Amino acid sequence: MLDFQRYQLEFTAHIRSPKTAKKPMKVPDARMGVYSEIVFNNIYNSVSACFPVCRTILSKSAWLKLTRQFFALHQATTPLFREIPQEFLKFITSVADLPIYFQQLAHYEWVELAVSLQTVITPKLSKKTDLLNENPILAPANMLLEYDYPVHKISAEFKPKKKESTYLLVFRNTDFEVRFIELNPMTFQLLRLIQESKMTGEQALISLAEQIPHSETHAVIAFGLEILQNLIEQGALIGSVKNTN
Amino acid sequence: MSTLADIQGVGLGLKRELMPQIQNLYPNPSVTNINFVEIAPENWIGAGGKAEHDLAWFTERYPIACHGLCLSLGGPDPLNINFLKQVKTFLATYKIPLYTEHLSYCSDIQHGKAGYLYDLLPIPFTEEAVHYVAKRIRQTQDILGQRIAVENTSYYVTAPISTLDEITFLNAVLVEADCNLHLDINNIYVNSINFGFDAHAFLHKIPKERIVYSHIAGHYQEAPDLLVDTHGEDIIDPVWKLLEEAYQLFGTFPTLLERDTNIPPLPELMTEINKITALQASFR
Repeated sequence: MLDFQRYQLEFTAHIRSPKTAKKPMKVPDARMGVYSEIVFNNIYNSVSACFPVCRTILSKSAWLKLTRQFFALHQATTPLFREIPQEFLKFITSVADLPIYFQQLAHYEWVELAVSLQTVITPKLSKKTDLLNENPILAPANMLLEYDYPVHKISAEFKPKKKESTYLLVFRNTDFEVRFIELNPMTFQLLRLIQESKMTGEQALISLAEQIPHSETHAVIAFGLEILQNLIEQGALIGSVKNTN
Repeated sequence: MSTLADIQGVGLGLKRELMPQIQNLYPNPSVTNINFVEIAPENWIGAGGKAEHDLAWFTERYPIACHGLCLSLGGPDPLNINFLKQVKTFLATYKIPLYTEHLSYCSDIQHGKAGYLYDLLPIPFTEEAVHYVAKRIRQTQDILGQRIAVENTSYYVTAPISTLDEITFLNAVLVEADCNLHLDINNIYVNSINFGFDAHAFLHKIPKERIVYSHIAGHYQEAPDLLVDTHGEDIIDPVWKLLEEAYQLFGTFPTLLERDTNIPPLPELMTEINKITALQASFR
């Protein structure tokens, strides 16, 4: 290591943690303070903007402490600013004393940013949408999510105490707005079969009917078709493509 | 394909707040003096959705300059080659002819791991640092297959281990790296107040032949002897004078108005843009 680099590391160690790491010798306090303030504020603002609910769940001082720890202890590896929140998600997996639902809540808050900026390729859709005989296509920027807590309902007033499986579809519509739809477990399964296994609507619904005891296949198909049509109206499904399987 | 020659006249830093305003007014004569726009690759690489859509709108209408923030030319950790390759692809995809970076660092190594701090930190002005930074600029230029320009950066702390002054350091790096200069007029002024040197004397030592691009901005006065480069205020008179003097000394060069915080409506910013245009015209 070169001499000037030893100085640089002392300098940044102090910026990251002004209380525990001494500033380099002979550097004036006031000037050093400019750096420890602006560099942390930058990180603080970027994290706070992405996680408004996480922030209100904790006390003001706890949030400040958490973001301080993030900056002091976490070596972020991305040069892209929009990925700073992802670095924060990585960091909180190592923090012990957070509420049990906190990591999932943070993930849920990050999803909005992630889906808004997802890069996508839109497949060529059939001219006439056929939800049963073709593979229904979700809005290309989307995430199908499964959480152990009702993350979308959490607020300062509602902090869940016990687990409650929660299924969400988050997607970007054609006006670039991010939308959230809460799903029942069956619709969640249906969309997974459609998106991941590329099934036709009918194939997916038959497969689901087989899993539901005492169900009648034609009734499941009729009910499922209604759900898919509703998702088309909401812009969550954008059409269908012919199955090549 | 845009070339370096397409980046000329006056430009505006493309902040999210300003984009819809430019899109609404374009091509109204009130905004014709915006000749090019500048973006930070760190904000746009790999971004889809509205960001991608808007960027396409701007690339179809304006020459684009790229001004990086996180390459960390003076950083102690290895240069991020993956990121540089992403920058190279990005420049090619959007036909961006100019890439500039700061003569500073924004990353470190703690507990044996490299990490970003996402801000511009001052490199100590030593001979060793000159060689180190120049080598990394050369490495960058080799990977990109093009010259880059480096910007004289604002700073608030001189390292007690520094053995050179800023202009000597800057010139030594430019020569050894054989790169271009991105001249930041406001930074000269800010540093001259913060460290009590003569801004005009500094300007006179700038190598004219290396200037390809410049910035001008306002700053925040924290104390009479401490200015902070916030890009959040109007440009003050001494900085205008310095720009005028630079045009006088070196001829005109493309100049970009930076406004990053406390952003007023576009018509207000146009007053400063138009003033730069008029100043450039008076030297042609």
